[in-house]
Amino acid sequence: MSKPPDFNRQTILMQSERGFKSEIIAAIPLTAKEKLFHIRICDPCERENFTFLPGQFIMIELPGCGEIPISISSSTSNKEFLALCIRNVGKVTGMLHRLKAGAIVGIRGPFGTHFPMEKMTGYNVLLMAGGLGIAPLRAPIYWANNHRSDYKDIIILYGAKEPEQILFGYQFEEWRTIYNLNILTIVQKADKRWPGRKGIITDLFGDIHIEPDNTFAIVCGPPVMFKFVCAHLSTLGLPRQRMFVSLERRMHCGMGKCCRCNVGSTFTCLDGPVFDYWTVMNLKEAI
Amino acid sequence: MKYLGITLERPKIGVFGFTGCEGCQLQIANKEETLKNLFNSIEVVNFREISSDGCDDYDVAFVEGSITTESEVTRLQKIRNQAKILVAIGACACLGGVNNLKSRFPLSDVVKEVYGMHPVDTGPVRRLQDVVSVDIDLPGCPISKSEFEWLVRNLVLGIKPQFPQYPVCVECKQQLNSCVFDMGMMCLGPVTRGGCNAICPRNRFGCWGCRGHSEEANFESLMRILRERGFEDEHISERINFFNAFNGIL
Amino acid sequence: MLFKTITKENFRNMIEGIMENNEVIGPKSRDRDTKGAKIYRFLKLNSFDELEMDYTRSYSSPKNYFLPFKEDLATYDLRDTGWEQEIRYTIHPRIIVGMRACDINALLKLDQVMLKSQYPNPYYSARRRNTVIIGLDHEPLEDCFCRSMNTDTAFHGFDLFMTDIGEKYFVAINSDTGYMILNRFDSCEVGEEDQLLYKEVRGRIESKFKTQVDITIVPELMDLEFESDVWKRWGDKCLSCGSCAMVCPTCYCYGIEEDIDLNFDKATKRRFLYSCNLLDFATVAGGHNFRPEAHIRLKYRYYHQFRGFVEAFNQSLCVGCNRCGKACLAGISPKAVIDDLIGTEKR
Repeated sequence: MSKPPDFNRQTILMQSERGFKSEIIAAIPLTAKEKLFHIRICDPCERENFTFLPGQFIMIELPGCGEIPISISSSTSNKEFLALCIRNVGKVTGMLHRLKAGAIVGIRGPFGTHFPMEKMTGYNVLLMAGGLGIAPLRAPIYWANNHRSDYKDIIILYGAKEPEQILFGYQFEEWRTIYNLNILTIVQKADKRWPGRKGIITDLFGDIHIEPDNTFAIVCGPPVMFKFVCAHLSTLGLPRQRMFVSLERRMHCGMGKCCRCNVGSTFTCLDGPVFDYWTVMNLKEAI
Repeated sequence: MKYLGITLERPKIGVFGFTGCEGCQLQIANKEETLKNLFNSIEVVNFREISSDGCDDYDVAFVEGSITTESEVTRLQKIRNQAKILVAIGACACLGGVNNLKSRFPLSDVVKEVYGMHPVDTGPVRRLQDVVSVDIDLPGCPISKSEFEWLVRNLVLGIKPQFPQYPVCVECKQQLNSCVFDMGMMCLGPVTRGGCNAICPRNRFGCWGCRGHSEEANFESLMRILRERGFEDEHISERINFFNAFNGIL
Repeated sequence: MLFKTITKENFRNMIEGIMENNEVIGPKSRDRDTKGAKIYRFLKLNSFDELEMDYTRSYSSPKNYFLPFKEDLATYDLRDTGWEQEIRYTIHPRIIVGMRACDINALLKLDQVMLKSQYPNPYYSARRRNTVIIGLDHEPLEDCFCRSMNTDTAFHGFDLFMTDIGEKYFVAINSDTGYMILNRFDSCEVGEEDQLLYKEVRGRIESKFKTQVDITIVPELMDLEFESDVWKRWGDKCLSCGSCAMVCPTCYCYGIEEDIDLNFDKATKRRFLYSCNLLDFATVAGGHNFRPEAHIRLKYRYYHQFRGFVEAFNQSLCVGCNRCGKACLAGISPKAVIDDLIGTEKR
């Protein structure tokens, strides 16, 4: 399933210092603050050789402006382009939002650990996302869809602040009907036009049945969500080593050198961003 | 000019001076080797030091000096109304600066001492932000040309500039300077905003805090250190009040 | 390992010979402190006489010759919608004379991160491979605790390592380059007397360590005492000025900044050494700071040095040179903090 890591020196240098020149082929507005970028590596050989696993991230660079870590939101089997869901919050993301199709950016990577999709074979998979947390979950969802027969029930719980902030809602119906995923959404604030549920993501636990002996969980969202969600799953009896979370930290290198993403005794870019919950408990101030 | 396909506008700029020595304005007109490139990226429409022509159609106003008279208030308000972005340049505009010395004495004494038989209508020293809203503070006494150019590049790109939050010590250590404290001098480097490449300590001259205080500076600890090293409160007070950068810590 | 001896006169010839065609870095003094003692730093030497062979300790470590405080990683030619990137990491060879055992051990620790990890750092590698290191032994200072950190002797990581045995230097040779350099100038084989003298000097050095820091249980203490008010107490003193990390021979935290020129057709990607003690070290886009308080940042500096690095590489990152303790105006030294943590500090 997953390829062994390539330790060819040239590849390492490519990944680590030299950026792949990549073209923005589409910049699709999703909400007021988020855009989905489709980015294609210019060189066909590099594009063909670029592989990643669900949950990994890349560093995207605008020369002269800056470089930021972004998780990959596209399918690992999509060889045409990488999809990156980017919120306009800072200097680099602000500039990215101004770029049009045709602009060339640099990408390095992929970096970091991934969700162990192969280990989940034969299990139910519970994916939980809060807000922008759906972005890194899109890769494992695509993976699960592509290997649908490998998994039993797949449930997605998605919580957002307002209905307008729900990301990728346009895909939910397709995922439900074609891939038989059970998707539940909940929002914190909504007016009467919202037909769905109101509340926080843990409220959705009442609507689903979880078999603790037979389930893997993937959680992505703000740190406060990890605490409540993982605590709840623990009380249900789900082993901590079968819960996976993706952490966010400041990053400058992606290679375990700059120490900016240091959490507890380790680095988010090397040993993360995907950690199992047992490791997270062991890392000081991880969440 | 284009950046990754985005067309960049040349901002129209005006440079204005209030109460101050005009040193910061001079810095902008300084450094011939980059002046041509600078004027390629901005359009100067109002700058007394380089041209007697001037119009009031500018987007960015760079304003030097502190505010001391009522007529200055009116003039500044007019600039504020015109400019989309108002940048305070230099210690006088950002902090009050050396001019603030005046505020330590009764105003009538000051007027008498300075103007003698020809008194003028002058008030207490105010920072620009005490009078109008300021978008960006470009600190320093004087401002550094390279930092000004950096700011211009950010403005052209439409990026909000982020000044160093850390204190002078970082860059001082990077210059491999000997710590001036070890040589018996007083230095405000540990609580002053970096970005100046520690130019004073590099020349064996303790920092006076012209760039204002660093973010969340630990004043208590510095005061303890200064007193432990035998500096008198009077001496400390003179130093920290010099640029008016550390109000109320002693 | 091979050993030789060289007379002090010949050593002078050797350094002057090297200096003719190469950049030589060594301990130099430019200022004096209030007590009149010289303040040393590693700088380029213009003549042998500038080299202070009896220097005590350089204010800052020579790490900046391997990890520069500021370094251009790449340059870009921008045009219309795209750009071309250029990366260069070729450097001129140079020689550093007078590095202490602790500084050489510090490089070995940096090698673990920069050379022997998943992503080798080509910039560091270029500097490391093109620098000849001539080490120099010394009698420990009052506050050196390298002995406790097991870094008081160096067995590799250098080209030549010299010990002053009176008339001559006793030289350990650890590379072909070092061997060739030494052979080009008059060096002698080690005689029985030299060996005795060397043993005597080593014994004297070892007997002179005054400061000890017991780090046996420190990795565990870092977790056990994570919420301890020890951190708050030291954190209240901390100026968050980053001086400790700048002078430290092993602190390697950095940041990346990008800059563009006034014509908007050239850009530079630059690395600058940073410190985990600085306020915005862990601030992410949007403004959330994962470590907003000084004492938490201070704690993490120690946590990385004495716990995180131990977990990754089975050794502390600290080499016991106490430069951070000397540079800290607030008087925060590893010895004091760790003693406080263990509970042996006299309060």
